[in-house]
Amino acid sequence: MTMQESVTVSSSPNQAIETQGLTKRFNNFTAVDGVDLSVQRGEIYGFLGPNGAGKTTAIRMLCTLLLPTSGSAKVDGFDVVQQANEVRKRIGLVSEKLIMYPRLTALENLMFFGRLYGIERNALWKKSEELLEMVKLTPFKDKLVGGFSSGMRQRVNVIRAILHDPDILFLDEPTTALDPQSTRFVRDLVKNLRQGGHTIVLTTHIMEEADELSDRVCIIDHGRIMAIDTPQAFKDKYNTESLLEVFLELTGRELRDSANERISMRAPMGRM
Amino acid sequence: MAKTVTWEVALEIARRDLLDLWRSKMLLFFFILFPLLLMGMFGYIYPPTPQSNPNTGSIGTAFPNLPVSLVQMDDGPAASSVAAQFIQVSEQQTFFTVSQSASYEAARNLLVQGHLKGIVIIPEGFSDSLEAGQPATVQVTVDETNPTIASVVQSEISAVFNIIGSNISDQNIHSMDPGGAVNPAFIIQPISVTQIPLISGVTSSFEFLAPGFMALTVITGSLQGVATAISREKEQGTMDGLLASPIPHLSIILGKVTAQTVRGLIQGFLILGLSIILFGVRIYGSPIIMLIVMVLGTASFVGVGIIMTAVAPDQETAQMMTMLLQFPMMFVSGVLFPIDQMPTWLQLVGRAMPLYYAADALRKVIILNANLTTIMPDVLVLVVYTFVTMTIAIPLFDRAMRR
Repeated sequence: MTMQESVTVSSSPNQAIETQGLTKRFNNFTAVDGVDLSVQRGEIYGFLGPNGAGKTTAIRMLCTLLLPTSGSAKVDGFDVVQQANEVRKRIGLVSEKLIMYPRLTALENLMFFGRLYGIERNALWKKSEELLEMVKLTPFKDKLVGGFSSGMRQRVNVIRAILHDPDILFLDEPTTALDPQSTRFVRDLVKNLRQGGHTIVLTTHIMEEADELSDRVCIIDHGRIMAIDTPQAFKDKYNTESLLEVFLELTGRELRDSANERISMRAPMGRM
Repeated sequence: MAKTVTWEVALEIARRDLLDLWRSKMLLFFFILFPLLLMGMFGYIYPPTPQSNPNTGSIGTAFPNLPVSLVQMDDGPAASSVAAQFIQVSEQQTFFTVSQSASYEAARNLLVQGHLKGIVIIPEGFSDSLEAGQPATVQVTVDETNPTIASVVQSEISAVFNIIGSNISDQNIHSMDPGGAVNPAFIIQPISVTQIPLISGVTSSFEFLAPGFMALTVITGSLQGVATAISREKEQGTMDGLLASPIPHLSIILGKVTAQTVRGLIQGFLILGLSIILFGVRIYGSPIIMLIVMVLGTASFVGVGIIMTAVAPDQETAQMMTMLLQFPMMFVSGVLFPIDQMPTWLQLVGRAMPLYYAADALRKVIILNANLTTIMPDVLVLVVYTFVTMTIAIPLFDRAMRR
């Protein structure tokens, strides 16, 4: 694995993410069906779709947490299967479930995860303090995360994902179950990160959030891409002021209830 | 270089896992209580080895003063004399407290109700036989619903009648050979047996069991611990954080295994400490070799835990699977019951378990002061086990996590 990784260097430096025919099948259920994506460097890419559309599965493949059934994906120019470790060095992940240990303090959590990226201890400590200050959690840095409110947890969780300065950040429903104050805070944080040059892939069910944050929006359903455009272009095209209307036009109004053979262990965020 | 990084990260992960245990006080409490309880329980369940006392001439018994009843159905003088001797010897040896019953039925009723452990019947014609110079017979009924007690009662009744018999033979020889040229013991019991203990001093049977319990606790604890730790992180979501970072998956496994080994060793030594304090167990061997055996014992089976986690969809299933393996292993690995009493196929199952070898090696080291050379066969099996299970577990873990 390491041999191949060192040989290939980023082939198209302007593309943060590029997939071709990316597909994931679980038994006979196709979660992601031949997706071709191209995310530009430095943009916020809104990834929208109803429940079960395949957003999370796609993101997990891009984060090297799932192996694609077929097709290929390059993140920062590196193949997610062949050069998984190179990909991992360059990405940060905020997933549906918190990546935080409840029995560690905020600072301990950051130190633990930071060490996984080989960041030197002193530099890591400084960076953690800085980020905690940024999300206004310095007074709570030595308190166990298990005792935090959802909003506080998510703020630590987000800075955990950017400790190692990843080029690309994956945010899977980062504001679900947050109160309005925390939601606002996280959204502003995402904007700031974009200013800092990070590429961000964002999934959300809140259309106003996608509208506010995304440079481009990709609407996906049944594992397939329905349309890709800027929020404004979408609204112009469908002659409406809300992205929600566009979304419903594209994906239909019927409820998406389906039961899967594969039990998903997704717990609501904040339950630890 | 890559090796040191793997270990560095593994140690961070292990440290975090142990910190997690330390911080959850309730879990920590039960973590300490469990081996103590297990050991205390087994320590008291297993009877101490009977101690003979040459001063009082007593043979010693693990179950003193069991209630038995005597049914005397013959009124002859010989029968009465034997009955009196039975009561006297039984009580002197502290074997039985003897009551007398009027009939066999009455005694049997008492036994069925649980008031008696055995019945001794001196049948009609007993005195006539003895006086006619014929051997006489007593009849015995024991409470067969409890096999252990039944066999103790049986053998102790035999022992009492051996003593009574010897006394009678003694008198008979004296009456036949009044000059006393022959030592009566030569006729009654020409060959006698005395035992040289395997280890000197007073021992309890528990001393031989303690090492097995240590191995049992360490191995089953780490097997279940690894399975639980990994599947919990999978369910909790933190495993994604580990897997999405650029660390070798081997580090995750090594980290989890290290934490569980440390936990296992703590429990193992708690058990040892308690057996020393409560049950007078003594250590004859080297603590270093003990440590090596316990670490190897853990390593040998932890791979199985990882394989199970890889296969199981959630924490609960993983726990059920490890239980399914743990319980038979407890019973067939020669820790609780001797393996020799089992049918051949079951013995083979027992011998397929690493616990068998870990317990065997630990027993030899702790009690018999065996060196590494003596326990090398056990150690080799454990090493091979470690190698094989890990070889299967590591790629399986890799694949299962990215399924």
